[in-house]
Amino acid sequence: MAEALILKIDGVSKSFARVETNDITNALENINLELRQGEFISLVGTSGCGKSTMLRLIAGLITPTYGQLTVDGQKIEGTSPDRGMVFQQPTLFPWQTVEQNLSFSFRMRGAYAENKDKVERILKVIGLENFRNDYPAQLSGGMAQRVALARTLICSPKILLLDEPLGALDAFTRMNMQDEILSMWRENRQLVVMVTHDVDEAIYMGTKVVVMDAHPGRVKAEIPIELEYPRNRSSSQFVEYRNQILDMLNYGGKE
Amino acid sequence: MNTEERNKEGILVEDAKSAKKLTRDMLAELEQKEKTPAQRVFDFFISISPMLAAALAAAEYLLVPTLDRFVSSHVNPERYLILLAAPAAAYFVFWLRSLVKYQSGQKKYYWTIVHKAPLYSVVFLALMALDLLTLKSGKLLYPFIPWVNDIINAAISDWPNLLKSCFFSLKLLFSGYFLGVAAGLLTGIACGYSERVNYWINPIVKVLGPIPTATWVPLIMIIFPSLAGGAVFIIALGAWFAVTLASRTGIQNIDRSLFDAAKILGAKERQLVFRVAIPSAMPNILQGMTQGMSSACVSLMVAEMLGVEAGLGWYITWAKSWALYNRMFAAIVALCIIFNVVTNTLNAVKKHALRWQNGVK
Repeated sequence: MAEALILKIDGVSKSFARVETNDITNALENINLELRQGEFISLVGTSGCGKSTMLRLIAGLITPTYGQLTVDGQKIEGTSPDRGMVFQQPTLFPWQTVEQNLSFSFRMRGAYAENKDKVERILKVIGLENFRNDYPAQLSGGMAQRVALARTLICSPKILLLDEPLGALDAFTRMNMQDEILSMWRENRQLVVMVTHDVDEAIYMGTKVVVMDAHPGRVKAEIPIELEYPRNRSSSQFVEYRNQILDMLNYGGKE
Repeated sequence: MNTEERNKEGILVEDAKSAKKLTRDMLAELEQKEKTPAQRVFDFFISISPMLAAALAAAEYLLVPTLDRFVSSHVNPERYLILLAAPAAAYFVFWLRSLVKYQSGQKKYYWTIVHKAPLYSVVFLALMALDLLTLKSGKLLYPFIPWVNDIINAAISDWPNLLKSCFFSLKLLFSGYFLGVAAGLLTGIACGYSERVNYWINPIVKVLGPIPTATWVPLIMIIFPSLAGGAVFIIALGAWFAVTLASRTGIQNIDRSLFDAAKILGAKERQLVFRVAIPSAMPNILQGMTQGMSSACVSLMVAEMLGVEAGLGWYITWAKSWALYNRMFAAIVALCIIFNVVTNTLNAVKKHALRWQNGVK
């Protein structure tokens, strides 16, 4: 049941020059990945391993130094609502109401009138109908992040990029949101690439965990998670995966 | 405040929205320290004090005898009484309305009235003191400081000129101000957005900006073919400077991640400027516009010395040179009123445009 290949990352390296010293940092070195429709990829790794850089490359916010990224055989150049991204901070436009934030993408493309019902539907899905005329400053962290997620999902992106979207939330809101994201994904079956610091979250949500290593950033291992959804965080297999990944990141228990 | 903090948590807001019974007023009342009967009586006394003060001022005006040497020039004495009675009557209406609202549970109007009342009372008392010091005792030297009724008489007798001057001043102020704001927005946004534009404009702003408006007067008299043009230019210059600086800062300090988010959602380069950068810099831009207005008001007075043929600044100078101090004071009062109305209007616009900034409605 091999699903269609969507995103191909082919020998991609990305280097940054420091502003003051002109030192070159290799954020990513020779990354090769093939990602398919319906996969949920969790990217884990210590900080500085280029996880976020990878997402920004896929989003088209930055261009690779070497190599290329292709979506359906087409080289990625610039951003597109087809590749939606949600950041750690909600990055809602503070001068716009919830409803205006949700319809931002449509309005930018002059397609608001025909997509009004989509805004209504998604307001219902995220349960913020009563808050449609509120400004982001009036929302709690969890609500704001839900709006940010909905703002991206409303464009029905083929690829959904999540850059630690739950990193700034408290533990309970976080677990609720994990389930919400999973149910949205299972409904739409798009390709999701999520960066996280949390190994449990990576295993709980991903069909595959990609472990990355730092200096220079590279892929250390790709671990398919063969567990049924919804997953049990305390099952023995879950714990096994956790230990395996933590070992790989050099955080395993020392006996 | 306790209520505000609670409202920031989503769940409690949801509760407040679903349960309509509890209102904001009731919350404030529930959490307030209870007032003693003595405090309540005192609050009530405060709430009626402006009317008492107005009555006191009127009584003083009518009962204390006018100084002999002023009796002949003290004409139409009822005008001052109208001046006292009109605001007192308006206050009475608002006071009555607040009492009615208080009965129906909306208590905040009453507390607003109680909060503002002492200030109004002091204004009436100050008017009374002025009357005592001028008309009734001559302690302040006439005609340099006239009594209020004299100023009213002057304003009424010369009202066509005064009105024309108000109109001229407003026209000059706004044509200069809007010109300056428009130019300031253009340069400020361009400077904030483009390093190259900033390279050329920044030195101009740095060199010309801090020069006080009055310094320009001699130069403008030479350069500008018409003095009216020069006057507009002087006013525009100050507004331009303030708006340029503020909007540039606003654009430069935008959270970069908002641009990323907008790009991801499909915004084009032009839309990034007009739909993201400018609205995001709005707080700074409006701050600059407020500053620009105060500098424009200062410049207006300088500009009217340039030999324009009407305007309040011109009227003040003219009245002073003919020793018509009562007319001079009338123009000063008119100026105060105009500047206040303009500034308050601008503040109201600002508050409305930036309503997204305050967390809870």
